[in-house]
Amino acid sequence: MLAVAKGDLDAFDQIVLRHQELAWRIAFRFLGDRHEAEDVAQEAFLRILDAAPRYKPTAAFGTYLSRVVTRLCLDHAQKKRPLPADSLPAVQDVNPSAAERMAVQDRDRTIRAALDGLPPAQRMAVVLRYFEGLDCRSVASAMDTTVKAVERLLARARGTLQPLLAELSEK
Amino acid sequence: MRCRKARLTIDAYVSGKIGPRDRVAIEEHLKACDGCRQAATVARRLVALGQALPMPPVPEGFAKRVMALARRRIARPAPAAPSWSLAAWWRMASAPIRAAAAAVLVIGLGTGALISWNTWQAPAAPPTQAASQTDPLASYNVDYLTDAPDGSLAQTYLALVSTPAQEGK
Repeated sequence: MLAVAKGDLDAFDQIVLRHQELAWRIAFRFLGDRHEAEDVAQEAFLRILDAAPRYKPTAAFGTYLSRVVTRLCLDHAQKKRPLPADSLPAVQDVNPSAAERMAVQDRDRTIRAALDGLPPAQRMAVVLRYFEGLDCRSVASAMDTTVKAVERLLARARGTLQPLLAELSEK
Repeated sequence: MRCRKARLTIDAYVSGKIGPRDRVAIEEHLKACDGCRQAATVARRLVALGQALPMPPVPEGFAKRVMALARRRIARPAPAAPSWSLAAWWRMASAPIRAAAAAVLVIGLGTGALISWNTWQAPAAPPTQAASQTDPLASYNVDYLTDAPDGSLAQTYLALVSTPAQEGK
């Protein structure tokens, strides 16, 4: 990043290649739509490029990137209604049975709809904590809030998702 | 351990990032509390769900598109941003700083409103006699066309200034 601040675009290219998956995963998990996730992930890198002269390495770059992507996702969610569950990606063909594929797709749509029904902050906490595997401290850093606030968000999200998860586990 | 603390510690417990003392405490609690045991089950299921949900790979050519946009952005310099903006500061400020700034604003506005209210409510002072008369000279009953009243200061003054100076006396 220090090299990027001096105008080294090759260094920026390396940063994008190394961290694109992290940005993509967070954006896609949160938004559920490929095109919007790509737009948000792209914008995150461009914002980082703009801010390069002011960048201070006080935390790992991944943490910084997570924070930028999280902020863009939450801003996006404020402006836009949740996406229809039809925008889910095609399920990997691990089972030749069409009925099983349909069942898995239905499950994924149900989960996606449940996630989209959560308030944006709870949804982001769930994505970062349970889907990306960040610990609560890292989630708090990415969301620019406190660990206690994250734990409260997760507790509320778990309460909302509990009936759905119980139903899915029975199937 | 009570439910409130247990619910807040469940994520750390499920992910294995918890100290030994807290682990023992929460495990004891989960043995006795159905609600918290269920919350721990939900947390584990969410972790499993995250691993099971499909995750498409990064779109083909993503990095190239980002770099193309980056080069365009570098070539076309952005308009100079203001050195400081309230909105940018608010976004960058941490939650405690924002809370403190909001508290200062509320207290300041509240104090100003209270002072204004007290000022408005204070009864108006009775007008003085001098203030009630528009012509200040009228209060002295100065009449330029008639002689000064007998024994008045004005008469005495006029008498003094009218008396011709007597040499040596």
